[in-house]
Amino acid sequence: MRKQMKLISAAISTALLLGACAAPNKQANENTTNAETTAANSDSTSDVKTMVYGTTSYGVGMSDAGLNPHADYSGWSCVRYGVGETLFKLNENIELVPWLAESYKFLDDNTLEVIIKDGINFSSGRKLDAAAAKECFEDLIAVHDRAPADMKIKEIKADGRTLTFISTEPNPALINFLAEPYSAIIDMQVGVDETKNVSGTGPYKAISVSDTEIKLESRDDYWEGPVAKKNITVKSITDGDTLTMGLQSGELDATYGLPYASYPLFENDNYTINSSATSRAFFMQLNFENELLKDKNIRSAIAMAVDKEGFVNVLLGGHGKVANGPFPMKDGETPNYSFSPEKSKELLNAAGWSDSDGDGYVDKDGKNFELNFLTYPGRSELPILAQSVQSNLKDIGIKLNINSTENYLEVVKDSSAWDILASAMVTNPTGNKAYFFETTSLTESSKNRGHYSNSELDELAKTLSTTFDSEKRDETAQKMSDILVDDYGFIFVSHLQMSLVSKNNIKGLVPMPSDYYEFSKDLVIE
Amino acid sequence: MRTEKILIPSILVISLLLFAFLSPKLTPFDISEQNLMIAKNAPSLSHIMGTDIYGRDMFSRVIAAGRISVFSALAVVLLMSITGVIVGLFCGYLGGIADTVLMRVSDIFLAFPGLVLAIAAAGLFQNGMFGAIIALASVGWPRYARLARGLVLSTKTSTYINAARLSGSNTVQIVFTEILPNIIGQIAVTASLDIGTSLMELSALSFLGLGATPPTPEWGSMINEGRSLLQIAPWITLSPGVAIFITVSIFNIFGEALRDYYNI
Repeated sequence: MRKQMKLISAAISTALLLGACAAPNKQANENTTNAETTAANSDSTSDVKTMVYGTTSYGVGMSDAGLNPHADYSGWSCVRYGVGETLFKLNENIELVPWLAESYKFLDDNTLEVIIKDGINFSSGRKLDAAAAKECFEDLIAVHDRAPADMKIKEIKADGRTLTFISTEPNPALINFLAEPYSAIIDMQVGVDETKNVSGTGPYKAISVSDTEIKLESRDDYWEGPVAKKNITVKSITDGDTLTMGLQSGELDATYGLPYASYPLFENDNYTINSSATSRAFFMQLNFENELLKDKNIRSAIAMAVDKEGFVNVLLGGHGKVANGPFPMKDGETPNYSFSPEKSKELLNAAGWSDSDGDGYVDKDGKNFELNFLTYPGRSELPILAQSVQSNLKDIGIKLNINSTENYLEVVKDSSAWDILASAMVTNPTGNKAYFFETTSLTESSKNRGHYSNSELDELAKTLSTTFDSEKRDETAQKMSDILVDDYGFIFVSHLQMSLVSKNNIKGLVPMPSDYYEFSKDLVIE
Repeated sequence: MRTEKILIPSILVISLLLFAFLSPKLTPFDISEQNLMIAKNAPSLSHIMGTDIYGRDMFSRVIAAGRISVFSALAVVLLMSITGVIVGLFCGYLGGIADTVLMRVSDIFLAFPGLVLAIAAAGLFQNGMFGAIIALASVGWPRYARLARGLVLSTKTSTYINAARLSGSNTVQIVFTEILPNIIGQIAVTASLDIGTSLMELSALSFLGLGATPPTPEWGSMINEGRSLLQIAPWITLSPGVAIFITVSIFNIFGEALRDYYNI
């Protein structure tokens, strides 16, 4: 009996204890519910919708913290989040179209005249005219690290809505650099505040800026038309898995940079996935200091052994496009490359390489065919590509030793330490296709790590640098691309498909191939 | 009775070490052979731990990773215990300025959380698994130095040490032939209990990309490789996780048994 009493007392005590603990929670829950109802009512009365946007692409680590377009890569943030706009923008086919500009013409090889649209105001209220734009470009040239060398500007003149750029030498690509995010036009009378906030002409203005978060609100006086009233918070989240869980839990409404592996979790009616192929290419440079790789047959054997479709369709979960060259294929274009391990083996055999000792690797003069593969883990696709290529080359008897290190820029200086370098690069950032060749594949290019040299390519680059006609420029760039692919100096594997994943009540959050424009006036939160 | 208690843990540890040593020969599939057609397949009769994103057999990779994971942990413990014990023995026996300086250095090391310091050191070395082993050993030796020094201080005034000194033995002889055999039991118990911890710390470094890097199979880096797929293909993360759990448990059981055996 006493034992039963003890048990009953213990049960009552436990119940009371739990009840005491639960009571405040209940009250708290009621308070939360009330607060939510109040907030909802308040929202419905003010009609302001909110969106929290998580991205892996904002912050100090990406060199784009803040909104000042004249600092580092912060112009990307300024343009991406709808604060700043440029004179020209890149459309769905990465072609230049006027944006803040109404029209333009090259008066001569060194003079570009741009007419600015009428009726555009900065968020500060100041009217955008040629004088305001001139102040902005002069500051850009004075303080930015890349713009002066790209634009080669000698003088800028302003007269009403007419802005005239005079360059130090013929620069057909100048117009392309006016679409580069660093060319976003901001009000220099307001300037850049200590939080790196600016006043631009875009549909949104920032109400607070930090290195990890930007709070935006829609403008009432946007020049392209009304913008649905909303507040947006951009949060820097560097870990892809945190983004995944944030979107699943509802803490985030939209994301940029979800890991490929997470996409199946959002392929349902509750979410929207909008994708676009970009010009960010994953490609391999071969090291021409290695005697073996000077042989074109060996290079083609390697290229033909790489299973690009397997990499894109399985390892990237279909979130990419097979590459046919440095630039993404246009709609309807089919990949023109051959994946043939058998042909690769034949080429190796013809070059005297065969597996004489039966160890699975081809050898010659008693030495196995071994190559060192260098890459970096900063782009998560690259270590995956490394392991994929390692397996592909093993199939044809080549042993690949992988070195995936953040320190790759030091390693690459020692040409005996690597044979294949895999990297990622936006090949066409401004619609100026010459950029890729000038940067990576001409004899004197700064990022030509493998010392590739092709006199025909160098000559065509000279022609391109003085050609103003856009059709002829495209034609020449295509020829250069074909040379590079046919010579197997570079092996282009895939292009990144960028996706923005959001809850299904978010409409109009559509990525562009240039990767520049994310928040437009058409972004609606239902 | 004491011997019986340690028998089963010893058999388990010896079996584990043998298994780890022979692991590359025991894999049913080639650990680097990719087959994208069967990528991310769930556990089945043909692949009992499923396959990873490259279609590689997880069971084979978990087994193959045993050698690098287990022997690297042993290397860490050996390195830090040998270094720490030598320092502790001489500091305790000789005393003086060297003792003061070395003990203050060890105080500095002990003032920081071990793993945090190891992450910094491994980042500095940037040399894969070898760098991770050196990093963990370089932050772990002071505990052994402290332990050995304390044991030496309690034994160096003993009669048998005085007798050895009077019979003409020099410092090195006294330290290694008289003192060390008397304290080795306690050191061995501490070391055996540290193997499991070292294995987890090495896995943590590899998980962070500071130890073994893919495609080398190592349990920590394998868990990291499958992290994004935890909700879609949990077996990629769970398989190496279970391997770590079992291995650490065996070493801990052995350490406890050894402690009971020495009555420490």
